[in-house]
Amino acid sequence: MSSGSLPRPARFETWRLVSVYLVIFLAFAGLISRLITLQVVESSNWNISAVDNFTNEVSVPAARGIIYDRNGSVLARNLASYNVVITPAGLPDDESDIQRIYRELSELIDIPVGGPVTDETLAEAKLFAACVPGPGIGQLVALQDTLAPYSAVKIKCNVTEEVARIVQERSADWPGVTVEIEPIRDYPTGSLTATLVGFLGPIPASLEDELRARGFIPNRDKIGYAGVEASMQSILTGQNGLRVVQIDVAGQELRNLEPPIDPEPGHNVYLTIDTRLQAAAEASLIKDINFWNTYFDTVRISSGVVIAMNPKTGEILAMVSYPNYENNRFARIIPAYYYQQLSEDSRNPLLNNAISAEFPPGSVFKLSTATGAFNEGIVDADDIVFAPGQLLLCEKFNPNDPCTGTNTRPFVDHILEKKPEGFGPISFFQCIAFSSNVCFYKLGGGFEDEIPQGLGIERLRQYARALGYDQPSGIQLQGEADGLIPSPDWKRINTGENWSTGDTYIASVGQGYVLVTPLQVLMSGAAIANNGKLMQPTIIRDVTDGEGNQVEMWFNPEDFTVTDFQTPGSYQISPFVPNMKWDMTVTPMIEDYSCENGVCSLDEDNLKIVNPETIAAVRAGTRLAVTDPTFGTLYDLFNQFPIAVAGKTGTAEYCDDVARKAERCNFGAWPTHSWTLAYAPFEDPEIIVIAFAYNGGEGASVAGPIVARVIEAYFELKAIDIAQGNTPLGQ
Amino acid sequence: MLRGLSWRNFDFLLLGAVVLASAFGVAVIRSAIAGNEELILYPTRQAYFVIVGLVVIFLLAGIDYKYWLSIHWIIYIVMMGFLISLSGLGQAAFGAQRWFQVGVLFLQPTEFAKIVIILSLARYFEKSQYEPRDLKWLAKSLAWTWGLLIWILLQPNLSNVIVTMVIWFFMVWMNRLELKTLFWMGVSGVLVVIAAFPFLEEYQRQRVFNFLFPDPNASYGAIYNVQQALIAIGSGGLFGKGYGHGTQTQLRFMKVRHTDFIFSAISEEFGMIGSILVILTLGFIVWRCIRTAQKSRDLSGSMIALGVATLLFFQGSANLAMNMNLIPVSGLPLPFFSYGGSGLMSLMVCIGLVESVAMRHKPMDY
Repeated sequence: MSSGSLPRPARFETWRLVSVYLVIFLAFAGLISRLITLQVVESSNWNISAVDNFTNEVSVPAARGIIYDRNGSVLARNLASYNVVITPAGLPDDESDIQRIYRELSELIDIPVGGPVTDETLAEAKLFAACVPGPGIGQLVALQDTLAPYSAVKIKCNVTEEVARIVQERSADWPGVTVEIEPIRDYPTGSLTATLVGFLGPIPASLEDELRARGFIPNRDKIGYAGVEASMQSILTGQNGLRVVQIDVAGQELRNLEPPIDPEPGHNVYLTIDTRLQAAAEASLIKDINFWNTYFDTVRISSGVVIAMNPKTGEILAMVSYPNYENNRFARIIPAYYYQQLSEDSRNPLLNNAISAEFPPGSVFKLSTATGAFNEGIVDADDIVFAPGQLLLCEKFNPNDPCTGTNTRPFVDHILEKKPEGFGPISFFQCIAFSSNVCFYKLGGGFEDEIPQGLGIERLRQYARALGYDQPSGIQLQGEADGLIPSPDWKRINTGENWSTGDTYIASVGQGYVLVTPLQVLMSGAAIANNGKLMQPTIIRDVTDGEGNQVEMWFNPEDFTVTDFQTPGSYQISPFVPNMKWDMTVTPMIEDYSCENGVCSLDEDNLKIVNPETIAAVRAGTRLAVTDPTFGTLYDLFNQFPIAVAGKTGTAEYCDDVARKAERCNFGAWPTHSWTLAYAPFEDPEIIVIAFAYNGGEGASVAGPIVARVIEAYFELKAIDIAQGNTPLGQ
Repeated sequence: MLRGLSWRNFDFLLLGAVVLASAFGVAVIRSAIAGNEELILYPTRQAYFVIVGLVVIFLLAGIDYKYWLSIHWIIYIVMMGFLISLSGLGQAAFGAQRWFQVGVLFLQPTEFAKIVIILSLARYFEKSQYEPRDLKWLAKSLAWTWGLLIWILLQPNLSNVIVTMVIWFFMVWMNRLELKTLFWMGVSGVLVVIAAFPFLEEYQRQRVFNFLFPDPNASYGAIYNVQQALIAIGSGGLFGKGYGHGTQTQLRFMKVRHTDFIFSAISEEFGMIGSILVILTLGFIVWRCIRTAQKSRDLSGSMIALGVATLLFFQGSANLAMNMNLIPVSGLPLPFFSYGGSGLMSLMVCIGLVESVAMRHKPMDY
């Protein structure tokens, strides 16, 4: 049969063929329309994703500034610490190779391999924070592999340099295992300066957005949590650099996409502290505390403060708050157990008692009363005040309250037990030198016909504020307490009672509602010592940039900002210039007080100065405390001292929660804090020291020796400096 | 055997399109290895396969396809033997036993099994072309298909089962499948899919789920590959980023870019212009095959050409659709472009068979 002659068999029905072509056409049309959607309509969005894929912003950490003391001794610096890390994506493909690496690494760094990776072991490993030993290597890597396989997980932190070197040498055998260098903060002086220098911690969630916007990387960068690390955070931290790099899928950096921005190192900060004097002050305080605690065989003195300052410049030379903490233990992380231990300690080691704790001042506050009484003419240099052992005074809540047996009670002098008849007739200077309570009751609250009108609480408050009380000092440390100098209004608002005459009497001797910080007491003494000029207390002496050039800096205590230009309310901290807060003998700051028809009031529009003679008289009183052999409170301590010292002691009765719990708040036998304030040389003071011992007892015998040893150390160190040709201490 | 044959009837346009596609494939593979040292030999190896494949096309074109049909039983049994032995002897690769090692070459019998099924069905439909289109006729065609397909399903290799079933369907459709039967086939097909879903392997089910309900948070998870492919295609834009300059490809964000996702690599580097050219080339090849089917001297030749056309069309568009996230990831390579010796070689065999049909077409031209 001839194939050519037969009619061609209808191979494909036309409509079926058309249907096939239609299917093919529709399929390709669908694909092309999808292609147009992707490559034309949505192209720019996909392009963003593509750029996002290969673009990586690498933040280059800036070196934190170094903190020095006034002589250039390092108080805070950066050290390298080595972490052994594994990048899961960098490990070999072969499971047996991985296990070999784990085994060998495990031998070197003593972290368990971890056994088989199961859901249970992973769930357990999740509970551990980075760097905390516990999970095995296998578990750590498996977790990281699911999170971010191309970034490294810390296997062991803070290994020795030798281990780090071995790991680096074996990098060819151990692909994926590397050494990460992490800067950690190191404090060579440790707990000695922890109160001032502070410590670093992770960026808290509350600040995360703000700091992230400024280039910080949470969980890597740290910020200051206390001390100068916190207050000077903005200048210590520097500016992180930024590199925008192209990466491949393995995270390997290929090239810079934009010119890199180099990190700017933080500024270095020089403190006014002299580490040697700081050590002497701490040793002196702890020696005293240990002596008395051993003597009484109980923790009698639980905390204490020593501050040394140059009254003419305001430079704090030493500031010790006991107990404190070891800030080197916070270098890497803030260990929970240690932090808990510190925060549960009733003595509150994390608190800087020098500026953040408020105590009743006791007799050191008499400087305010003395200044006020003398300046207001209540007492004169020639006047004699009669000081019996005790005064019977009645408590009046209103001027017309009658004095009866029920509201009359004795106000005693501290000499009463030794000498029931009291100091007898004494001068204004002796009132200060002997620290006679009775004298100051009379000056402050008035007494019958002898002193018809005392200073009164309102005027006392004026003079106390002029000496620096009742307000933060503006020092460059966070957490400063205001203290409290009460007023009748304050009492009505806060206790619901009228101000009573008794309140004035005890406020005159620094008791009752009066609360102060040790730094405020130091400032009041410094204002007197410096002839009425109150200098701004400062702990910053100098700021230099990363290359060591001195830079100008201003500090604003109101909003706690550090700027390289002057802002309203700020004062210059670098280069150091003594900043005077005020000179009360020049600037009128005491409100005039006038009485009409027995109603007395302050006139805030009518201000007056404190007379230089007043300051001179108070100074003379503080000197007499050292020179008067009869009852001079500091006579025993400083009589033999080759340099003329002047000062004031204080024994402040208190009744706080601790004392109340121990049932020690018994009327007439209250527990007492011990205070001593002294400055030298008397004629031209360059050092003033305050010592405070919580529950220390008598000021002169407990806090006094501490002050004496610090002043002694100061002049010895100064002599050493001069002998060695260095800049003498305090200059 | 070549007597009376004229190379004038050899479809040089089809060959040209195949050469163009394969050569372009080699060039893209060279770009797509992106410096990966393990893949450095692949472009050369693929080029060798192209050259060997061209020789195979000419050899097969010279041999009358009827010869293969006459020994189809032997081929069928041998292929079944290969497929069965795969379950025991085949090398376990990627969890599925799809490779057969011959010397240093990994052969994928599945690719060739599809050709054997096409040949067997072509012979069957020719033999039964005057029989009524009843269920018996349909069942016999299914029996020829599933005699080999069952082993592919057991591998498991679901995508090639689907490809084969589509080929079968196109064949029965063009053999005047009755519409009534088609309706019942549709109903039973839906039921089979629903019934089969619980028996799918976990990873297959997962793929379907990932396709239907993508997890927007899974950046490194299951949708990573497709997501990266979409970024590659979309960021390519109209004109592409240039040969060797695709960031998704060169920085290796895209995986399996020389095989399953080679279209994405092309789209990224050559843009929409290049992508459409690829689709048109593929369409052109399919059209030339269907044209050959129409002109064939007998039904078996038509069926071979139609089967090859369906294979290329379906496998090609499935791959493109997968690249553009229109269907779940399936593991079907892009014909002629994707890297893979077995795949390319089996396609060259297909083209050789089609050319064989074309050269012996019905003497219509005088």
